[in-house]
Amino acid sequence: MLWQAAYTVLFYLFAVAAISFAIGVTVSRRLLRAAVYLMSLLLTGAAIYVMLGAFFLAGVQVLVYVGGIVVVIIFAVMLTNSAQLGLATSPGYRKVMAFAAAAGMAIISCLALWTSKFNLSAATVPSDNIKAIGLKLLDRGAGGYVLPFEIISILLLAAVIGAIVIARRTTAPGQPFTTRGDEPAELANSTLKTQLCIEQEEQKV
Amino acid sequence: MIEFLASHTPGPHHWLVLSMILFSIGLYGVLSRSNAVGVLMSVEIMLNSAAMNFVIFNKYISPAAVDGQIMAIFAIAVAAAEAVVGMAIFVAIYRRRWSIDVSTMDLMKD
Repeated sequence: MLWQAAYTVLFYLFAVAAISFAIGVTVSRRLLRAAVYLMSLLLTGAAIYVMLGAFFLAGVQVLVYVGGIVVVIIFAVMLTNSAQLGLATSPGYRKVMAFAAAAGMAIISCLALWTSKFNLSAATVPSDNIKAIGLKLLDRGAGGYVLPFEIISILLLAAVIGAIVIARRTTAPGQPFTTRGDEPAELANSTLKTQLCIEQEEQKV
Repeated sequence: MIEFLASHTPGPHHWLVLSMILFSIGLYGVLSRSNAVGVLMSVEIMLNSAAMNFVIFNKYISPAAVDGQIMAIFAIAVAAAEAVVGMAIFVAIYRRRWSIDVSTMDLMKD
């Protein structure tokens, strides 16, 4: 009785938290702040997985999403200088159209949910389903997932190699490696000027 | 009060509406963000809510099986690969054009 009441309260708590963090990710003008909101949203998602009885998935969520993907995204923000560039906003008509599309998506999903009947099962989730996940992932028989499991490992290897190949800095042979080698001259001057201005301001203070 | 809360535990529709709202917010972010890294973050929200749907149906339709959770694990793995390749592409584009504004990425349009 008390446990069910706590379950209801926790559901609405996590739902409100997840929705507000998601809104923070999409409307925050500073991208680093959006990345922190995304991390909080994914942690809330891990709590939601625990409430749904998927304990292994909650651990995977924290390890892979919060420990890996958010770090990669923060690297992307840093390496592309988006912490400053992120302040540029998109035009208003695009936001209106995006809101219309998202609202239409929500309405259509609501109607589909309203009109569909699910074959619900009254059984409860067994608490020790981690062993079942491991056996199912390496099961070679019918209904086993060993082939997708191996293909996922090839996909991750290909993604890592592809990322290195795409992001590698290509310098012409004979040229010395410089950190700002392919920067346009006028941009280099302008960044130098802003750096000088910042230093002068600091000296004044 | 406690009786009211205990008799209103969330059913499958509550969870599905939550994940649908998260998906719609992610869709809004994908369409309205101008920075490509922001678009990537919104795509992560959408992937997360889709994985959540698998777990919800696993809990409420076949609780004894774990197929939905395995699908969610695969979705998380694909999301990790997508984030890594996306970051590499954004860094390469930024190095070439000094901007990752998605509205200027129309090289393949004509």
